[in-house]
Amino acid sequence: MKTAALILSAVLAVAACVFLLAPLVVVVLASFSPTPVFDLPTTGASLRWYGRIANLEGFWPALGLSIEVAAVSTALALVVGTLAAIAAVRGALPYADAFAALLVSPLMMPGLVLGIALLQYFRAVGFDAPLAGLLVAHLIVTLPYVARTMIAGLSRFDFTLIDAALTLGCTWRQAIFKVMVPALAPSFLIAGLFAFLASFDNYPVSIFLTDVRTKTLPIKMLQYIEEAPDPTIAAVSSLILLGTIVLLIIADRAVGLSRMAGTSD
Amino acid sequence: MAGLTRERRTAYLLGLPAALITAALFLVPLALLFAVSFTGADGFSLSAYARLFGSEHYLWVIGNSLQLALITTLVTLVIAYPASFAIARAKGVWRSLLLGSLLLPLAASVIVKAFAWTILLRSTGIVNNTLIALGLIHEPIRMIFTETALVIGAVNVFLPFMILPIFAVVAQMDERLTEAAATLGAGPVAAFWRVTVPVTLPGVIAGIALVFSLTVSAYVVPTLLIGERYPTLPSTIAKAYLLTNEGSFGAAAGVVLLTIALAVVIVSSRLGKAPGAAR
Amino acid sequence: MADAAHLGVKGVSKRYGAATVLESIDLDMARGELVTLLGPSGCGKTTLLRVIAGLVRADTGTLSLAGRDVTRMPPYRRNVGVVFQSYALFPHLDVAGNVAFGLNLKRLPKAEIEAKVRRVLALVHLEALAERPIRALSGGQQQRVALARALAVEPSVVLFDEALSALDRKLREAMQVELRQLLTSIGATAVFVTHDQEEALTMSDRIAVMHRGRIDQLADPRTLYDRPATSFALSFVGQSFRLSGRVVASEPGLSVIDTAAGQLRAPKQFLTGSDVIVATRPEHAHLGHATLGPGDNSLAGTVSNVTFQGPRSLVEVRIGDAFLTVQMPGRSAAPPIGSEVTVGWPIAETLIFPAEGEP
Repeated sequence: MKTAALILSAVLAVAACVFLLAPLVVVVLASFSPTPVFDLPTTGASLRWYGRIANLEGFWPALGLSIEVAAVSTALALVVGTLAAIAAVRGALPYADAFAALLVSPLMMPGLVLGIALLQYFRAVGFDAPLAGLLVAHLIVTLPYVARTMIAGLSRFDFTLIDAALTLGCTWRQAIFKVMVPALAPSFLIAGLFAFLASFDNYPVSIFLTDVRTKTLPIKMLQYIEEAPDPTIAAVSSLILLGTIVLLIIADRAVGLSRMAGTSD
Repeated sequence: MAGLTRERRTAYLLGLPAALITAALFLVPLALLFAVSFTGADGFSLSAYARLFGSEHYLWVIGNSLQLALITTLVTLVIAYPASFAIARAKGVWRSLLLGSLLLPLAASVIVKAFAWTILLRSTGIVNNTLIALGLIHEPIRMIFTETALVIGAVNVFLPFMILPIFAVVAQMDERLTEAAATLGAGPVAAFWRVTVPVTLPGVIAGIALVFSLTVSAYVVPTLLIGERYPTLPSTIAKAYLLTNEGSFGAAAGVVLLTIALAVVIVSSRLGKAPGAAR
Repeated sequence: MADAAHLGVKGVSKRYGAATVLESIDLDMARGELVTLLGPSGCGKTTLLRVIAGLVRADTGTLSLAGRDVTRMPPYRRNVGVVFQSYALFPHLDVAGNVAFGLNLKRLPKAEIEAKVRRVLALVHLEALAERPIRALSGGQQQRVALARALAVEPSVVLFDEALSALDRKLREAMQVELRQLLTSIGATAVFVTHDQEEALTMSDRIAVMHRGRIDQLADPRTLYDRPATSFALSFVGQSFRLSGRVVASEPGLSVIDTAAGQLRAPKQFLTGSDVIVATRPEHAHLGHATLGPGDNSLAGTVSNVTFQGPRSLVEVRIGDAFLTVQMPGRSAAPPIGSEVTVGWPIAETLIFPAEGEP
């Protein structure tokens, strides 16, 4: 009976993973469709949809904007979030636990609610600069991811490493950059990866803060899908997927999948 | 004395930027949203809430959101619980493969995944073609823009959020616990219910809270897979702000959505800490 | 000749808020000396070590090291080596990277660094593991890497903060002996912090027993054991049998003390009427009237337990409220449990301390 349960759960796990991967595989296959109706390339593959990406109206500006917003907000969040995580973990701060909970709490917020709250707020204070507004809004999207990962990483960090570096001849600056930063590199990488992807893929916050000229890629994508879905969208999706896979492989090389999945080493 | 205050001052300084950002971009906007939801044409008003809870249509909308979240949570739980054990027990290449196929969809764009299901489920799509080829059906069934499509898509998008917390607990569970239970006279069934379930409960609770609050807030998946036929709280909010410009009503719907999502998170964190639950 | 000291600590005090952690500590160490700071947790020993390392700045007092005044010098210019309790090995570097860390900061030529790393790793028997990541090492191996890293910079003094406490007992005892030989062979000056008295006795030329921020006694292990200066030093190092009592008569070199169990003599004059603690080490005690001489103290007691251990038997005797365990050769017949016995020990081996300040 125990063996039966083991086999059953193994089959279920494999089935679940196939189910999870299915849409990704289908998108990639459909992007090579020889016809305009998402046929799987059974009779022959075609690359023409990739050639048409450039013809999509507003694609390149949207991609550029999304990368810019994600990169800038992630970089800022990494700095601010790491400093805050140090404050929360080192214990000198009163109510450190409450502070940590506050930093992470936007994660529990429905994205749409955060979006309308920010829209309302920007209107109320007369803040009318779409690009700046988007950047600032994505800071609150990315910061909780960084805070969560860095608090976890720092609570495992042995601060005597800094003492050790000091006694071995490091100045404070050197101790931070030669010991603390490299020792925390895996946490930085995971935090940065999650924050970047959360921003890059964000729809529900961005949708309320864009105007005709500043549209992020997810907003453009949804618009394409609703207006005229053809395999060009599948080609775009495949490229986004490719980028995601590259990021994941880099992260896996650096820190390992288990750690990303939330278990300790 | 001097040492302590200096350390504390440093801590304040380090925490300050993040605290300011969180206050200015999160707490204040939320407070404002709350205030707006209680504002009518002339000052304080409950009209937005009256409209939301007083009409059958919007009660149905709230019901839709809850129903979707509930079904998705249940289905993901049934799949994720046993699967987590298999992933945690898997070794070497298998483990990497399983974890990878969990993390890749997690990292992939929601829009890409939802779009893929519109391809898969259309009447000339792969699912229909496969079912016909297998002889299970004779002509295509309508799947896209149905409740079935919605649930399949939601389960697909949110399943990793159920598996990961459970997997994290199971992976750290000492396998000898069930052996110890066996030596104490527990048969496999008793060992499962009395040891395995209580030990893994925190992961299950975390998974349930996460999936429920994510699904109830989902916008992209319902929009692409069922559309206008099945309005939800998020789609109502979006419509109020993007189309009809009814800020106060949208804000009230937002507050209701927020309350549901937060209630689930708070209740679950209480449950996770309850005396009966293993830590 | 205070300035001849290799490490000189003078009048060092440290307060955190209302709590005094160190109170005017004086400690002079000669070059090549091994000194242990011994005491329970919270006695200030680790703070003193961190003051010497420069990781904590003392409120008052001065510090000199290898002929330099280092009182206000930051840790990175003091040239100290520290082996931390957690080892504090850099997880992003391999074994050789950790050992080379301090040398790299000194900007030595590459070849010289490599040669030094190899030499130090050989010293701790880890040559074969130079390329290993830290994660792949056992606790004992990590301990050796931490030691190698501290020694590689050829520090003026090596500081050990409970450095052996994480090892299991067997490994720890082997390491104690090996470490002492190693440090002596390279002529290192070292300070150990520990709460483990056996470690202190094994490792040190001198032991500083610390209690509530002060050094109670600074002495070589034998003196510390035979002639503890305070009742705290007595109780912290080795086994002891203690009774409290009051001095009823005294003359130069002798006090007579009344205790609940009977009258005792001690070879030191105390004021008549003062409350005292009288003690001896169990190994000085013997059983039976026949062995008693005129120079002995004696008390009556009841045998409460007997343990046979092969070469010896341990006879536990209840005297009043206290218990005294007497060793007997294993061959000789031990008295039965419950029998009345007389226990004696030489007056010369009787210790006496004032009772005040006793916890």
